[in-house]
Parts: sequence; C-alpha cells; structure tokens
Amino acid sequence: MERQEFKNHISGQLNQNLEGLFNRILEMGGLVERQLEHVITAVQNGDLALAKEVFQLDKVINREEIEIDRLCASVLARQQPAASDLRLIIMGIRIAIDLERMGDEAVKVAKLVVKMHAADMRCNVLPGYNGLVELVVGGHAMLKNVLDSFARLDLSMVRSVFADEEKMDKVFKNAILELNNSFKGSDIDVELLLEMVNALRASERVTDHSENIAESIVYLVRGRDIRQMDSDKLHEFLTQVEAEI
Amino acid sequence: MSEQAQTVSVTLDRDDRGMTLESEKIAIEVKDWNLYYGTKQALNSVNMVVPENRVTSFIGPSGCGKSTLLRCFNRMNDLIDIVNVKGEMTLHGDDMYSKQMDVAALRRRVGMVFQKPNPFPKSIYENVAYGLRLQGISDKTVLDETVEWALKGAGLWNEVKDRLNENALGMSGGQQQRLCIARAIAIKPEVLLLDEPTSALDPISTLAIEELIFELKKEFTILIVTHNMQQAARVSDYTAFMYMGELIEYTDTDSLFTNPQKKRTEDYITGRYG
Repeated sequence: MERQEFKNHISGQLNQNLEGLFNRILEMGGLVERQLEHVITAVQNGDLALAKEVFQLDKVINREEIEIDRLCASVLARQQPAASDLRLIIMGIRIAIDLERMGDEAVKVAKLVVKMHAADMRCNVLPGYNGLVELVVGGHAMLKNVLDSFARLDLSMVRSVFADEEKMDKVFKNAILELNNSFKGSDIDVELLLEMVNALRASERVTDHSENIAESIVYLVRGRDIRQMDSDKLHEFLTQVEAEI
Repeated sequence: MSEQAQTVSVTLDRDDRGMTLESEKIAIEVKDWNLYYGTKQALNSVNMVVPENRVTSFIGPSGCGKSTLLRCFNRMNDLIDIVNVKGEMTLHGDDMYSKQMDVAALRRRVGMVFQKPNPFPKSIYENVAYGLRLQGISDKTVLDETVEWALKGAGLWNEVKDRLNENALGMSGGQQQRLCIARAIAIKPEVLLLDEPTSALDPISTLAIEELIFELKKEFTILIVTHNMQQAARVSDYTAFMYMGELIEYTDTDSLFTNPQKKRTEDYITGRYG
C-alpha cells in the first residue's frame, strides 16, 4: 500500500480530508518528538527552560488530538469511508490517543527536572539516572521510527520497534531495581526518589505507546490486528510481511 | 484464569472472528456459471455458495452482472429469448435448470421483489392472498391467517389491519414495497430475491425495509442487489463484489468492507480510480 493511493479517490474532498489527517498526525507526532528531544536535554543538562517548554508543548499536543478527533468524526459522518480509508480513520484516532499520552508521560519526566532544579540538584545524582536517559533516548528513537513508518506506510521497521520495546522493558526493570536498593540508607530526599520512579515509569510508557502505534500502522497497511498475537504467530506474520516488502 | 476469561482470550487470539462461509448451511450452489445475451457474455464462470438464513448482497458498478445473476436464481432470464446459460445451479441440492424442473414451482420456492413497488390494482388483502389463490388455496381461515402472518412479517399489519379491503395503490411507496414483500413471503418461499428494493424509497422507508430484511432472514435466505454500498454493509452477512460479469470477491461483509483482499474491490468500495 502506498500513500499515493489515499489521493486517488473520485471525491476530491475525501482526498483532501485524508491527506489532512495524514499531515495532522505527522504534525502531532513531530510535536511529541520535539517534546522528547527537550526531555532528553533537560534531564541531561538540568535545563529548566526546556523542561517548561515540554509543559507548553503538551497543551498544543492536547489541542492536536481534539482536532484529529474532529476531522475523523467529520469524515466518518460525511463520507462513510470503507476498507483502507476506514482503517486510516480508526488508526488516526488510536494514534492520536497514543501520542497524547506520550505527551503526558513526557511532562511527568520534565517534572523530575523541575523538582531537581528546585532542590538545586542535577538528575544524574539520582540512582536510575542512566536507565532514565537510556529510556528517553530509546523512546525518542522508537517514536521517530514509527512516524517514519507511518509517513511511508512501510512495515520494514516494525520488528525492530518490538525488539526495542522488549529491550526498554529490561532497562526499566534494572533501573527500578537500582532505585529500590537505594531507598534504604540513601541521603537523597525520598520524594525525589519517588519522582525518579515516576519518571522511569513514564519513559517506559512512552516506549509502550510507540509499540501501540506500530501495531496501528500494521492494521492500516495490512488490515491485520496483531495486538493479541502470540510471539510465534507474530514472528510468522512479520516474516511474511518482510518477504513481501 | 477464569473460564470466562479463557473464552475471551481464545476468541481474541483467533484471526477470523467474523462469519465464514465454510461454517454455513448452503441454500444455493453455483458452479462455473456463464450467461450470454446473444453472443455477448454477461456472466463469466461464477462460482459461489449462498448460505441459508443469511443476507447475501451483490454490489458492483452498473452493468457488472449483479442483477443478471440475481435473475438467474429464479430463472427470470428464461423470459428473454436471446439469453443462454451454461453451468450448474442448485437450490437445496435440486438442479434449478434441469429439464424436469417446473419453473413455476421454482419461482414459488424463490420469490422476488423488484426495484419499483408493483402492487396489483386490488385490495391490500387480495394482493397478499394472490399467490395463495394461484396455488388453489380458497379456505377463508387459511387465507386470513396467512395474510395476517405475511403482513406481520413485512412489518405492515398494524398500519393496514383496519383497511385490508382498500386499494393497495393508495398506500405510500414504502408501504407498497413492504406489501410486495408480504406478497412474496405469503407463499413461504425458501429464498427471497430483492432487486434494489429501496432505490425508489425515502430514507425512513429504506430503514424500515432494512430492518425488515434483518427480521426476515430468520425464516428466509435473502439475496439483495443494491447500488448503495452502505446498505449492503448495513444489512448483509455476506457481500459479493462483481465487475464485468465476474465475481471478484465474495466474503463476510465485515471483512469485505474493512479489509478487502482484491485491489479492484478496494478501489470500488473506497471510490478510487481503478
């Protein structure tokens, strides 16, 4: 399936609306990508201004989700899309939800930077810091991959997104373990340690949402719902998809 | 995991959660079916099975052969001199085109409703009783009971029970079409063919007919030809897409409208340039 196909309807209005939806989702994805870039720098450099920018971007992202919902509802009501057009609408709504939640998770990580700044400390003094950086960098890379995949309707990177997500789960578990071990006898304020737990959990959720988006793109391109597929079936399916690319 | 949770889990794991033709009882079977108008071939090697007590719709652009195929199911095409057919078509195992097949008897088993409501210029009662009288039924009680049953089945009884002797031509278009459905089901056919049954009706009457189709499938196998894709999506269990005399894709309606496997089907139902 190629993106060009969404411009081949007899109805120019439908072409315009679907193209608008594509662009809107990519635009929203771009905003979340920027948010995550800010989060990475803010965590690494203790940059308060960038952390606050993350909060501002979240407001814009929330508005984008509403706009995508409105556009999808309008196409459903007025143009009764079917087949791949219908899947694009369903997927558009789902991706917008995932992106909006990613934005919320980014805000939670940014809050850690704000709290640490208020305590006159840098994030790197906290246990779990390296894991946090790995998670936000990994989450950002996964989002970039799925947005590229969406822009080109290309499923070649789906397998790597799933593999990255599994890797990030391990990073998260190790970071939480490191934190747990630090609770006893640490001279760092427990409130800050808990803030770190929240940030770790939020950045791990970012990677989950990227995986959700990858699943949505598979549904759009192939019409297959892979959310409940066991790993053997998923492997078989992805092998078949990769062979056909 | 609880039994209920396990059931849900198994259901979600299945790839094919929709209906499948393989699991259905078959009413009509079509094998390598070809139809010619003189030298022009209008249907090309159609193979399909029509499931019992389900609604099967035929969609496709004008001239694709969907109405021609529908008319084959009760041999209406026999009335056109230049039509020749080749292939096999069975109704519950009976060869519909064998020399022994009594065409009038076949049409009692396969009723039909047309695009434009065509009630006879008779009373409402007589319209519905017409087919029964043709069958030689004259017992007043049997006639009364069947007319009431058919009008109830067509969702019309409450509207007309007090004016059964009024002329049917005085009814609204939607009522007339439901009367035609009552007339068709009064003789209790096995199959009901609907050729664009709502194209001459307003949206509310259309919804009433669609609701009726949903009810009627409990007792009859229904085949419907429609230009309205949303209607096919709303009312049918299975949908067949035809193009230039060929059956391009035939599957459960959910799959056809969300994930068609053939590009030509996708282009047609999404309104793309093919």
